[in-house]
Amino acid sequence: MIKAGQIDKGTALLIKGQPFICIEREFVNPGKGSAFVRLKLKSPSTGQVLSETMKSQDNAEDITVEDRDLQYLYNDGTNFAFMNVETFEQIEVPMASFPDYQYFMKEGETYRATFWEDQILDILIPAKIVFTVAEAEEAVKGDTVQGATKYVTTETGLRVRVPIFIKQGEKIRVNTETKEYLERVNK
Amino acid sequence: MDETVVFISMFNLESQKHRSIMYRRIRSFFDERGYLEIFTPTLSPTLIPESTIQNFRTRFLNEFVAERDFYLIPSPEIFMKEVLASGSPSVYQISSCFRNSEQLGRVHNPEFTMLEYYTLGFTDRDSIALTRELITSLLFDFSPSCLKRDFTVMSVRDAVQEYAGCDIDELQDVHDLIAEARRLGQEPADDESWDDVFNRIFITYVEPSLPQDGIVVLTDYPYQIECLASKQKDRPYRNRWEMYIGGMEVANCYEEETSCSRTAEYYRNEAVRLTEERRGTSLPVPAVSKDFPSLRIPASSGVAIGLDRLLMCLTGKKDIKDVLLFPFEDLLHVNY
Repeated sequence: MIKAGQIDKGTALLIKGQPFICIEREFVNPGKGSAFVRLKLKSPSTGQVLSETMKSQDNAEDITVEDRDLQYLYNDGTNFAFMNVETFEQIEVPMASFPDYQYFMKEGETYRATFWEDQILDILIPAKIVFTVAEAEEAVKGDTVQGATKYVTTETGLRVRVPIFIKQGEKIRVNTETKEYLERVNK
Repeated sequence: MDETVVFISMFNLESQKHRSIMYRRIRSFFDERGYLEIFTPTLSPTLIPESTIQNFRTRFLNEFVAERDFYLIPSPEIFMKEVLASGSPSVYQISSCFRNSEQLGRVHNPEFTMLEYYTLGFTDRDSIALTRELITSLLFDFSPSCLKRDFTVMSVRDAVQEYAGCDIDELQDVHDLIAEARRLGQEPADDESWDDVFNRIFITYVEPSLPQDGIVVLTDYPYQIECLASKQKDRPYRNRWEMYIGGMEVANCYEEETSCSRTAEYYRNEAVRLTEERRGTSLPVPAVSKDFPSLRIPASSGVAIGLDRLLMCLTGKKDIKDVLLFPFEDLLHVNY
């Protein structure tokens, strides 16, 4: 058990028997009222997001989680398939639980995942990932403020705005949180 | 000052210029209306018991006098009411205030500036009109146009009806309110107090739904939320309002409780709650003033406005750090 006031982003909780990960936490003090926390909790199995308001002194059931390394194999449009690098066991995860993650999943790459018992609660995307440019579009004209740019599509289908000198087949480093181009990677 | 001066500095000096203009306008607004500006201490040996506010405590040391704890005031109310009770005219004050343990972030700084003004003979409704005039007098040409529109005034009951779909007049029994909160999807404990359950509903459904682009005044707060605002006759509400600008709490107003016995009752209840809640924690339990409940507070209405937040609104800033030279979060990371 932990106090609701101690819940932070990333804390794993059991709510009505279902695991949830806290994705947003805000302290709220209504005028002349007790301290509350406003939480956004995500269910890893369904992707459902719950808004919960708790008093900071309320008890919440936290769960012990464990990190394991998984190698990404493929997706079949419904599930991501991973392999546990220690046990070679194959694991499937519904794609709907991790929207947009397909853009950051590179075949053969290893990702750190948070487990509660045998269930994946979270998959950690590295802050920066190197992608190969699969398709490069024409330059966007008229943007003189940020310099001339254009869009490219990576091998995972992610669209990124890049400088016009980037060509198909080149490698680029991308900030996975903002989905912004960082630099060209020279081999 | 030359208006064309361009500041090139790590400090946001432009915001200081606006702050200084705002303070001057506030002073002339109240001076023209016959209010007395007063200056009261920010270090106090006692506070009004408020279980929901955490305090900063410090220690007075002296070779010749017994040492004792002092507190940085969370608001100048305790001193201002003493001045009022002594027979002063209407008074105002701009002072530094301190609140501990609050969330750091976009709209909080543990040390902040408060404007408090008490008007003799005013009801809380009269204070709405006065505050409207005050804010109008503080607008800059470039202030967001939504501040120039009329206030939206709505009762807490209407706001809860509108945004949470329930009528708190019909939910005065705590069991009914808990059942309603559960129906809405909240999980209050069986023994939760009426005001806590109400606040759950209020901060989950009402506060986030308030209009984001203008000034909203919520009036008639439930009497169950204990404070020093007077109770209404025959209705379960207090003469209290809160002003939100762009969804952010900026001001609070009471029609002041004038009855010594009701003030003393508030004191007893709140002091017990405060001591109970902080037992076993490292949070300071401030000493409470024994004399305060016996003050003869004249019929009046007091307003407190967070000036840093108001300055943010007037100058279209989204972060309190943009109106402070030395934001607390920067001080927190100073090396020593």
